[in-house]
Amino acid sequence: MVIELLQSLSEMHLVGELTVLSLLLGGIIMVGGIITAKIAKILFHKYYAPSLPKDTAQNISKLIYFGILIISFLAFTSSQGIDLSGIMVAGGIFAVVIGFATQSVVSNLISGLFLMVEKPAKHGDAIDLPDMGISGTLLDIGTFSSKVRIFDGTVTRIPNDKFFTSNIRSLTLSTVRRADAVVGISYNSDIENAILVMRTHILQTMPFVLQIPKPEFRIEELGDSSVHIHVFVWYPKDDWSEAQPILLAKLKRALDNAEIEIPFPQRVIWSGKN
Amino acid sequence: MKTMSTASETTFSNYGIYDLGDNLELLLPNTLITFQRISDDAFSYFREDSEGKIIEKIIPVKSNDVKIKLVPIPPLNHPAKRTNYVFLKLDKEIHLGENSAASIFVHCPIEIGIFLIYGDNHEPLDWVTCNPLNSRFGLYGSPDTGKLCKYAEVSLATDYDDSVSYVNAVMHIVIENTLSFAQTISKVIFPITDNNLYYKDSRSIIDGIKIIMKKRAAVNIAEVKPTLVDTEWATAPAWDKSITSIHNMEMTLE
Repeated sequence: MVIELLQSLSEMHLVGELTVLSLLLGGIIMVGGIITAKIAKILFHKYYAPSLPKDTAQNISKLIYFGILIISFLAFTSSQGIDLSGIMVAGGIFAVVIGFATQSVVSNLISGLFLMVEKPAKHGDAIDLPDMGISGTLLDIGTFSSKVRIFDGTVTRIPNDKFFTSNIRSLTLSTVRRADAVVGISYNSDIENAILVMRTHILQTMPFVLQIPKPEFRIEELGDSSVHIHVFVWYPKDDWSEAQPILLAKLKRALDNAEIEIPFPQRVIWSGKN
Repeated sequence: MKTMSTASETTFSNYGIYDLGDNLELLLPNTLITFQRISDDAFSYFREDSEGKIIEKIIPVKSNDVKIKLVPIPPLNHPAKRTNYVFLKLDKEIHLGENSAASIFVHCPIEIGIFLIYGDNHEPLDWVTCNPLNSRFGLYGSPDTGKLCKYAEVSLATDYDDSVSYVNAVMHIVIENTLSFAQTISKVIFPITDNNLYYKDSRSIIDGIKIIMKKRAAVNIAEVKPTLVDTEWATAPAWDKSITSIHNMEMTLE
C-alpha cells in the first residue's frame, strides 16, 4: 500500500525531473535539518555554553545552528538534482544587484562580523555610547543588530553599522573607576579643615572607596558665593552604586557635622551715600 | 535587645570549637553572635557588628551533632569579596643593599570565620571583621590593568606571639635582593589565598611569603612565593574552597 503510494508520487512530475516524492524527501531533509539545528543549539546551550564566555558561546551557537541549516539546504538541493554551479554564477550577479539594493543590510551584516572579531565590548559589559546617548549592559551582538539593556531596564536595538562606527566607552574594562562631586564651602571656612573632615568621613562611611589611589580634593574655583572643592574617589568597577550616587550626600553630611557652611548664592550690595 | 559589652569588662570568645546546645553566645570585639535553638532541627543565628549591621539566619541542621568553629580567615570578605590579593603598606620602609636579605614579621589583617561542623565537614556560615576601618581596597598598578587588592597599613611585629587578638595575624616575610643595587621596600602585594592561618586561643599567625628581587633579561622583578609556618597551633579551615589558587606572582619593580 505504502510502496504503491510512493511509486505513484514518484511518477507525479511537477516541473521537469522534479517529482512530488523528491519534493517530499527534500522537505523532510529540510525539516529534519531545522529540528537537528535547534536540538544541537539547545544541547550546546545546556551542556557547553555555561563553561564558555558569553560572547564565545553565542557565536559558536550561531555557527552550529546556521552550519547545520546550510548543510541541510545543500542536501536538499542535491536531493532535487539541482545543479548549483549555474545558480552560483547567477547568484553572483544576483548578489551584486541585491547588494546595491540592500546596502544598509549588508553594512549591518559586515559590521556585525567585525564586531564579533574585534570585540570592543563583551556580552554583559556595561557600555556607554555617547554619540547615541545610550548607556547600559550589552546583551547581544547579533547578525544585523546589537541589543543593549539600558540602565532603566528597557532594551534597545542598535543597527550594527551604527554600533561599529560609534565611540564605545567600556564601563567595566578597567579594574577601578572614579566618581566625583563638587561642593562649595563659605569663604569663612578653613579649606584644610573642610578637606580633612570630608576625607575622614569618606574613610569611615564609604568602605568601597579605595585608599590607593587616595581620595583627591582640588580647589576648582573661587566662586561668587563659595569656594568650590572638586572631590575625586576611586572604587572597584562593579560598585558604582556604592560611590557615585552617595558621594555628594556623604560630603554634605561631613560638612554639616563639622558645622562648615555650604553657602547659598549671595550678593553684596553697596549703596551710594552723599 | 542584646547589647555588646566593652573590652574592659568582658572576656571575648577564643578561637576553636563550640557545642551548639540550645543556646550559644559568642562575643568578639564590637560584635555579638547568638545561636538559639528554635526547633528540634533548626537554629536561629543573630549577629550584630560594630557598624550596626544585623545579620539573621535560620539554620536547618541535619543532626544534633552540629558544632560551631570560630577561626581566623583571610581578610577578603569585608565590605565585599572582590579580590584574592592583599596590599600591605609597611609603616616603616625596609632598605636592602645589593645582594642582601631581610627577615621581618608584620601584622597582617584578618577576618573571623564562623563555620558549621557536621562530622568532618566544615561549612562556612558567616564572617566578621573586628577592625572595619582598616578593611579597605587599594589598587596596585594603573586603573585599566592594575590589580585590585585589600589594602591595609601594617606595622612590624616582634615575633609570632605579637599578634593583636581578633584583628591581625603575624606573618613572616623574607626579602632577598639579588640585584646589584639597593632597594627600598614599602609595600607588599601578594595573593593571600594560598596562605594558611593558624590559631591558639585568641591569637593567630599566617603562612609567610618569600620575596626575591631579581633580574630577568632586561627587567627587574619581584617574585613572591608562600612559605609554610612550622607550628603546633591549630590550622584554620579554608574559608572559600572555590577560590582560585595562585601559587606565586611576579611584579615589576617600581
